[in-house]
Amino acid sequence: MEIQTLSRARRLLLLYCSFFRITALVVGGGLAMLPVIEEIFVNKYKLLTREELLDMTALTQTVPGIIAINSAVYIGMKIGGVPGALAAAAGAVTPPFTVILIIASFFPHLNPKNRYLLGVFAGIRAAVTGMILVTGCRMFRRTVKTKLEYAVVFIFFLLAIMKVSPALLILAAVPFGWCYVWWQTRRLSQAEQASDSEKNEPSAKTNSETTGNGGDGK
Amino acid sequence: MNHCIVLFFQFCKFSVLCFGGGYMLIPLLTAEFVDREQVLTMSEFGNLLSVAQVTPGPVGLNTATYVGYVNEGFFGSIAASLGLIVPTILIGCSAAAGINRWKETFLVKGMLKGTRLAAVALIMFAVTIFFGMSVFTQTIPWEALGALFKLERPVLPEGFALSPAGILICGVTIVLMVKTKLPTTALLLGAAAAGAILSAWF
Repeated sequence: MEIQTLSRARRLLLLYCSFFRITALVVGGGLAMLPVIEEIFVNKYKLLTREELLDMTALTQTVPGIIAINSAVYIGMKIGGVPGALAAAAGAVTPPFTVILIIASFFPHLNPKNRYLLGVFAGIRAAVTGMILVTGCRMFRRTVKTKLEYAVVFIFFLLAIMKVSPALLILAAVPFGWCYVWWQTRRLSQAEQASDSEKNEPSAKTNSETTGNGGDGK
Repeated sequence: MNHCIVLFFQFCKFSVLCFGGGYMLIPLLTAEFVDREQVLTMSEFGNLLSVAQVTPGPVGLNTATYVGYVNEGFFGSIAASLGLIVPTILIGCSAAAGINRWKETFLVKGMLKGTRLAAVALIMFAVTIFFGMSVFTQTIPWEALGALFKLERPVLPEGFALSPAGILICGVTIVLMVKTKLPTTALLLGAAAAGAILSAWF
């Protein structure tokens, strides 16, 4: 399909319909959308390369906002500029908005009396608990590395339990992050200066290793 | 109408603060709508998240639409959804080009580092909120548990207990998620069926 030659309006329509389809079909949202996005935009229409998609994945997780809409906005932007971003976001919003609106207008208060329906809700809640726990642990392992970081996460957690507003915690984390990065880079540069004399030790080690390997090769 | 505008800006705030995906919305939403404004009870919020999980679409958007509807009806849900999207579009359109260039600057690096640590902590907090709705029968009574620090026996509130069905389903989900590559949908459907069946016993 020659997408590059499509008129502007058709391109926007394509973005709208693609994201409509993605959010209408994918349950779970966010990162679950990625394989489908790859299928449609990389394999089928060839509007994005796999590298661009990877860059986008990293990007959508660094900027604030829900991942699904972030992805829609960035892909729309890439393919159709600002109108493209709007079309993609509108497409992503339409199906869940409609579905939830229908459910909400029939059950304005989700307080079912039926025993089995209550069981269904309880079952899903328990599964979601497990999913969030696994996601949280994966995130923990990716981001928290040093002892200081462990301590900071623990303190934030305690503050959250003590009913400090989560919004306040995130805002407080920003200046903390600046101090932390500043302290880290300063320590690193100091360590570099200090280790100029000690540098011989690790380099000597690698030297001996490489010569050792070379000897084996011969 | 005024309420819709308030709702819009509330969700703008959530959107800007939501680092690390839709689950981050859980602590933000409970703090605002369950604890402060009390338009939703904790169990309603739990059911709402269950519905958001099993219906198609991103969890954040589903929740926003529903909370908006509960607050202010049809226009409320429009205001809440728009509130969640508009900041993303503004940030996206201005940052899509620039962020790769700014990524290594001190200000962006520090902000990302700090917010990521806070996000991890808040997602763990979201887990404890969910524990209170599934593994335990009630919200975890942190005030009572504070007695543990004074080496006293905590006085647990009436009706606070472990829920066997919740523990079972939660545990099986974790194992399946770590060990297999089953899609989320399958896990959720299985859990829903298991919940209905187990409700006959517990």
